[in-house]
Amino acid sequence: MVYTLPQMVEVAAERFPQKDAFRCNKAAITYGQLHQQMNQLAHLLISLGVQRGDRIGVYMNRSLETAVAIYGIMQAGAAFVPLDPLAPIERIHFLLEDCGIEYLISQAAQRRKLAHLSPTKVKGIIGVKDAGDIPAFDWETVQQVEKTDRPPVNVMENDLAYIMYTSGTTGNPKGIMHTHYSGMSYAKLSASLYNLTAEDRVGNHAALHFDISTFGYFSAPYVGATTIIIPDAYTKIPASLSTLMETEQLTLWYSVPLALIQLVQRGVLEERNLQSLKWILFGGEPFPPKFLRSLMQTWPQAQFSNVYGPAEVNQCTYYHIPAIPTTDDPLPLGYIWDNTEMLILDEQDEMVAEGEIGELLIRSATRMRGYWKRPDLTEKGFFIQTKVPGMPEVFYRTGDLVRLDEDGLLHFLGRKDRQIKTRGYRVELDEVEAILITHEAVEEAAVFSFKNEEYGLLVGAAVTLKEGQNSDEQSLRNYIGQSLPQYAVPQHINITQALPRTAAGKINRKALKQQVSKI
Amino acid sequence: MNDIIIDYIKQQLLSGQVDIDLSPEEDLLGSGLIDSLGMIQLLAFIEEKFEVKVPPQDMTIENFMTVEAIGNYLERLKTA
Repeated sequence: MVYTLPQMVEVAAERFPQKDAFRCNKAAITYGQLHQQMNQLAHLLISLGVQRGDRIGVYMNRSLETAVAIYGIMQAGAAFVPLDPLAPIERIHFLLEDCGIEYLISQAAQRRKLAHLSPTKVKGIIGVKDAGDIPAFDWETVQQVEKTDRPPVNVMENDLAYIMYTSGTTGNPKGIMHTHYSGMSYAKLSASLYNLTAEDRVGNHAALHFDISTFGYFSAPYVGATTIIIPDAYTKIPASLSTLMETEQLTLWYSVPLALIQLVQRGVLEERNLQSLKWILFGGEPFPPKFLRSLMQTWPQAQFSNVYGPAEVNQCTYYHIPAIPTTDDPLPLGYIWDNTEMLILDEQDEMVAEGEIGELLIRSATRMRGYWKRPDLTEKGFFIQTKVPGMPEVFYRTGDLVRLDEDGLLHFLGRKDRQIKTRGYRVELDEVEAILITHEAVEEAAVFSFKNEEYGLLVGAAVTLKEGQNSDEQSLRNYIGQSLPQYAVPQHINITQALPRTAAGKINRKALKQQVSKI
Repeated sequence: MNDIIIDYIKQQLLSGQVDIDLSPEEDLLGSGLIDSLGMIQLLAFIEEKFEVKVPPQDMTIENFMTVEAIGNYLERLKTA
């Protein structure tokens, strides 16, 4: 019986031992090899003292070894925690501390950042030859582990499988806890919705710390398909990316809209044959219809589909685009998928009248267990309804405002709070503001979003300085860049004498938005 | 030319990152030093600063992997 994520690899290895499970940079790992290596890694971790429920960091760029890393960790009964390789080292320190991470899987490319880790906290790093004072175990060591069978750990479907960190409102990120059950539920639901088969070749564009990656890493192994991990360099150069997509004969693509927009603009698509593509999935933020139209004309054979769902539930709706959109109206979020139900509630947690706007709440097999070590946030994030005595139904409050139209389609209308999506990443504007205000020269700070045609929403800021203090845009950006990922660092910081105010005396963020128009 | 590009990357694209001692041979793309938005900003800077137009089909990994590669490419572009 298959009820944990690594068991999916065991099954695929049984059925397709010689088939490529993952490919990256022209190298490949078969299901047979993945099966063996994940068990070897699991045995190594256990020999180091790793126990069921422990958290292990995965601090890696997009690479073949990421697959061995996550499955080996889970096979040992531990949970993997992806660490953004681009995140500032301060944030990494916070995550290691917050999550109690003692072991990391990493790679030589991270050596500069690894040098900043303390040997008193990190007990070992796997995947590198040398890590200074910290014990290191390279991949050769892993592959020399003699035991290749499943280690004797009783992993159950409701055990912790992985934790993904996302932006918090107070300046610190929060960890979303997923179990084998929620992860496998996603794999099953998505594989079924997109008719995924062992013949498919899935293009995985997202980095591991981004929940979009769970399709390539979980859903593809569930059916024995091949996932092509797009190497980091290709995610930045659309003309090379489109060549790779053609060479690898991808059948399914899933990414944030920005990656597709860049393919439209700089991917030289007219020179590529991408007829192999059957599905184009996108999610994380709205896809401007202008670019979508162009792409649908270029790849008429493919079915385009809008994916929606906060990382707390992974995915919860889908919208298969029936025809090339004729207007620039935003795409609907679509329909709730299987094993999932929704509520649309008003401020008083009462159901809204038909067709009215309210907050979307989701109850699903894919729902997270809660936020790591933050029962307060978990409680706030959940809504419990008990219709049958003793059977509480737990809904996640998405914070997204929606409307259900007469055709049963959900439409996104905005946020309840000040969270935005930029290039698919969640950013809490209040978090950026909370950090900016701690700069010694800053008196007042206002952080806001502004719109750019290609990039969608970007972060902007305006500050006033304390009397007698001096600073400039670059040093303020550097200051924020020390604690937040690059995508959350404002593209613009306007240093001004006074912030614009509304008649009521509040900071006028609308006026600030209008002052910024270009990147 | 390499120094101008390195300066721009350090000043504009690497806000607050550790060890920003950047060599012309450093892998800009694979190491995660620059994201896709940064790449576009770098391209705009190069086109303006060196008064060139980079055609989309030339914007490849081979030509933009390192500062050195960018420099070599720009030399070829100018003499072409």
